[in-house]
Amino acid sequence: MSTQTQTETDSTRRGFVSRLRASPFLSDLLSNRLALAGIALILAMVAVALYARIGALVGFAPTYAELQSSQFGANPSLAAPSAEYPFGTDIQARNIFDRVLYGSWLALKFGTVTVGISTAAGVSLGVVAAYYGDITDNVIMRTMDVLLAFPSLLLALALVAIFPNELGLWRAVTALTLVYTPRFARVVRGAALKVLEDEYVDATIALGATDPRVLVRHVMPNCLAPITVQSTLNFGLAIIDLAALSFLGFGAEPGSPSWGLMLSNGVSQGLLTGDWWWSFFPGLFLAVTVLGFNLLGDGMRDALDPRMREAVD
Amino acid sequence: MVSKRFVLKRLLLLVPVLFGVATLVFAILHLSPGDPARVIAGQRATDAQVAAVRADLGLDDPLWVQYGRYLVDIVTLNLGESYIIQRGTPILTILRARLPVTLELAIYGQVIGILLGIPFGIISAVKQDTLTDHLTRVGALTGISMPIYWTGPLVILLFAQFLNVLPASNRIASQFDPPVYTGLITVDTFVFGLQSGEFAAFVSAASHMLLPAAVIGVYGMALISRMMRSSMLEVIRQDYMRTARAKGQGAKITVMKHGFQNALIPVITVIGIQFGTLLGGAVLTETVFGIGGIGTMLVQAIEVGDYPVVQGTVLVFAFLFTLVNLGVDLTYSYLDPRIDQ
Amino acid sequence: MSRDIDRRAFLKAAGGAAAAATLAGCAADPDETGTGTEGSGTTEAGGDGTEATESGTESEGEGSTLTYARGNDSGTLDPQNTTSGEDVKVTNQVYDQLIMFEPGQTTLREGLATEWNLEGTTVTLTLREGVTFHNGDDFTADDFIATFNRFTNPDYEYYPGDSYVSAYGPFTLGNWIDSVSKDGDYSLTIELNQKYAPFLRNLAMFASSVLSQQAIQELGQELAQNPVGTGPFQFENWDTSNQRIRLSANGDYWGEAPQVDEVVFSAVGSNTTRAQTLDSGGADIIDGIGAQASKIVQDSSNAELVQQAGINVGYMAFNMAKVEAFRETKVRQAISHAIDTQALVENIFKGIAEQASQPIPSNVFGFNDDLSPYEQNLERAQTLLDEAGYGDGFSFELATFKNPRTYNPSPLQAAQLVKSNLAEIGIEVSINQQSFNPFLDYTSAGNHDACFLGWMTDNADPDNFFYALLHPQVADGELTEGQDWVSFDAEGFNTLNVAAWANRDYMTLVEEAQTTYDQTVREEKYKQAAKIAHDEAPWVFMDHAKELRGVANRVSGFVLAPISGPFLNLVSLN
Repeated sequence: MSTQTQTETDSTRRGFVSRLRASPFLSDLLSNRLALAGIALILAMVAVALYARIGALVGFAPTYAELQSSQFGANPSLAAPSAEYPFGTDIQARNIFDRVLYGSWLALKFGTVTVGISTAAGVSLGVVAAYYGDITDNVIMRTMDVLLAFPSLLLALALVAIFPNELGLWRAVTALTLVYTPRFARVVRGAALKVLEDEYVDATIALGATDPRVLVRHVMPNCLAPITVQSTLNFGLAIIDLAALSFLGFGAEPGSPSWGLMLSNGVSQGLLTGDWWWSFFPGLFLAVTVLGFNLLGDGMRDALDPRMREAVD
Repeated sequence: MVSKRFVLKRLLLLVPVLFGVATLVFAILHLSPGDPARVIAGQRATDAQVAAVRADLGLDDPLWVQYGRYLVDIVTLNLGESYIIQRGTPILTILRARLPVTLELAIYGQVIGILLGIPFGIISAVKQDTLTDHLTRVGALTGISMPIYWTGPLVILLFAQFLNVLPASNRIASQFDPPVYTGLITVDTFVFGLQSGEFAAFVSAASHMLLPAAVIGVYGMALISRMMRSSMLEVIRQDYMRTARAKGQGAKITVMKHGFQNALIPVITVIGIQFGTLLGGAVLTETVFGIGGIGTMLVQAIEVGDYPVVQGTVLVFAFLFTLVNLGVDLTYSYLDPRIDQ
Repeated sequence: MSRDIDRRAFLKAAGGAAAAATLAGCAADPDETGTGTEGSGTTEAGGDGTEATESGTESEGEGSTLTYARGNDSGTLDPQNTTSGEDVKVTNQVYDQLIMFEPGQTTLREGLATEWNLEGTTVTLTLREGVTFHNGDDFTADDFIATFNRFTNPDYEYYPGDSYVSAYGPFTLGNWIDSVSKDGDYSLTIELNQKYAPFLRNLAMFASSVLSQQAIQELGQELAQNPVGTGPFQFENWDTSNQRIRLSANGDYWGEAPQVDEVVFSAVGSNTTRAQTLDSGGADIIDGIGAQASKIVQDSSNAELVQQAGINVGYMAFNMAKVEAFRETKVRQAISHAIDTQALVENIFKGIAEQASQPIPSNVFGFNDDLSPYEQNLERAQTLLDEAGYGDGFSFELATFKNPRTYNPSPLQAAQLVKSNLAEIGIEVSINQQSFNPFLDYTSAGNHDACFLGWMTDNADPDNFFYALLHPQVADGELTEGQDWVSFDAEGFNTLNVAAWANRDYMTLVEEAQTTYDQTVREEKYKQAAKIAHDEAPWVFMDHAKELRGVANRVSGFVLAPISGPFLNLVSLN
């Protein structure tokens, strides 16, 4: 709706060649200290995630099964943070530190899938809508409007109820993918329309290029920057929303070391009993990870060509 | 200026969207596992009893009959009756009692967000690339990076547990039984206070409102200040601002005079869009603070399978959200006549 | 009508504000506390105080208010409209039954009937005279007849519909009663369709609450929001946006008159928050206490934890109709031996439940003292599996509800425990967790391989466990010779028997016990039935949960009742 309205700015129009080159975008981005900080945070989280995941597979960190099952006997229950248990233990005597580390693997993995699929779907729909226009455009975008007519978490909640329970976190992923796709479709459609305004695309078509060729070779590359920005910003949101669904009891399967689930148990059972570490550390990791993506996304948006920035705002 | 035709066109465009929304909600509920009749009949019911309930509710009818009936019901503003949460009570009655709870929370949150977000955004833009700017931006980004279900518990821990100065849950202490005029508890208790000269109930209601509203407000502040900053920068860069500055007016006055109003336009969009997010976020806030608004009711309804409640709540939310968005768009085109009508 | 309610709400608000002022005063000056509350309720205990209490209510605003906090608001205030224990807590204050449970006991006492006799298939009752409903209507035999008809008779003029009345209609009354007739205003005769020993207890259930005939005719389905009973408290208002129900003392109550002026049922969703509310004085009595909440209550200087054995059972049922391996008794025994129910109740349920050895807990008569819970013994389990020919293991799906229920406070963690225990004897378990209602659909259709389930007593009679949960209730023709299970598709199958178990010896004992009026003989039969159930292991007997309440120190006279209740008319505030 409002985001697709087109205010013309007076800023200088750059030629498509210079826009095509990613370098100004990249160099702008790299000179942005906050964005760099974001990249650093994300890389750190990726390292943590890989450590926990590979460790679980190879054996230098607890396995997924160990993280899920209670550890009575091995550890005390609800121990406060100490040298041995840096983040304390939960009511099932599990080491929260190990669980939080593994949680970053889950968050990044499911975040990537959610954002990846909704980006792919949104890009296809958006480009097709912009290119073919008319009825195609209308059908696609009105459908997107219907999905956009719901507050996102609410739609996700309603959708989650459809999918069978045994899918666990995957049903949250599916629901959120459906929720996010329209946002990408809208951004990409807006960006693609601007690209299509350029004469050279008309020229390419006049020269006899086929539809798929025009779309893949000319339209999509030009939409890459706004798509990347949108994906980055949505990555943070996806992590928050996935955890929110787990928090409300509609996400990760029981016992899973997902941040949202740990927060949920820690808040409902541990907050008022003084066992603050139970929910504090999962939340902290969640917030730091999301902050990384937001810093980066924000910096990227600033580095973006003003013409494209409108589509993302 | 906004022409009548434009408004009319936008309203007409709403019809297919709302129709789609209604259809989607219907589809979602009918695809959900679990038999509503079993929900009503309970554990001790035999299959025959469950079947009787199903027949009584018209759930045996072909899907298209149910769909038709559903559409007619919506148009006539009959959203059905609750199965479980308030058995037999019309959904509209339930929503009328609970919607103000959620709205009140969202409004206070929004107000806090605006009051803090706009000044922060302006400061950040005017002092672009200074330490103040960086700190404000990082602060804002941190604000939107912390989920409400983490900050909520943190403030409960701090203010209710350690400092023990503010209540952690509910809307008002249990000894008060405030009259209901508007359903907005701070308003109702305040009016009652004016009438009786006894403001204890109001103080209780207000102190219960503080933490959840602040949590929502911080989140809103972050979004708004971020938007305010970038839109302010955009305006400052524009030619007429440069001209104004060249004329020798002080930077601050320039900003206030010319920049502010124009910069506000996209901010209004964000505020509007965010209101929908706030309504959604209310689900989480209410859960964390134990407030019986629409959010907690929805989660409960999904858990127990009270389909009419889920259906009605989601529909009303979507309707409100769509209306707010329309309002935003209209305001936007009113403020910025250049927008293609 | 609505104007009246508004006015009353307004007056109440005035009272509330005044009470708040008193409270604020209390906090400042402890001496005032004494005078502030003394005049209101405690000294007026017993029958003598009735008059004084009555004149002290309404708009004067000096009333003592008891706040009972629980997890959820009520869904309905009509006992014929509910299957939820949450709703019953409130209806039990407003309504009485003909026969009632002794507070805190499982024995029966006089209610709206003063005498009763069960002989053969005939029940005769003498009704209490001089009782009035909250609407001023006199209680007579016609009220019970109207109550019965409204609940079970679709042809009755005021029958509120199949989707309105709960399954308790037939379950409690309709399935057993042929006819109800009166002999004058204060005498009732109920003809049963068979000899049925638990029937008097059914009359004491919440579902048998006596409604006013006049209210039935005038209010219909509105009774769900506007209850009219004869109970110790009468309905004032239901504030749904704050999830509160307000009741006021019935000064004319025929039994022990309430000692507080007002009761407020409030809902606080989170267990620990509720406990915190109790600790900080925002509630006087709370229920729904988990392990962590009980920690808060125990640490509180304002309240104490009261506990008692409950009448319930939590179990894991083997679906013999679906899974071939489960038809082998030795497989069921092996699994019973493999699951560490001791760790379950101690670690996962954190001591708020006890291990189970049979379908009923020890506070129900017929409990067999000779049986003890299956001990975890993995070697024995493996041997049994080998003998049954499943030594290499197999896999099955364990269906469970995901939210805590009294008899299974941590279903998901319990499922995890089962999974890891059984992995040790080569049995692979996958967990299928669902919300409770889809889950009930799933299990009552027999779709599960094995499932968690449980039962909260209705009437504290063993029949309510043995017959309701483990008897197939099908005609003999549906049973197959030499086979101790039955298909879920069998005509009339009792879908609560989620194990699909059909053991002839057990069934005979339970049927005989149901029609035997000699308590000693009955008891013996249930003991034998319990032994068969224990040995044959159609379930893994998991636990009996305790009843826990948090009670503020200022409350006295609170009786924790494993059935019926809460008996708030016995409670006073200091």
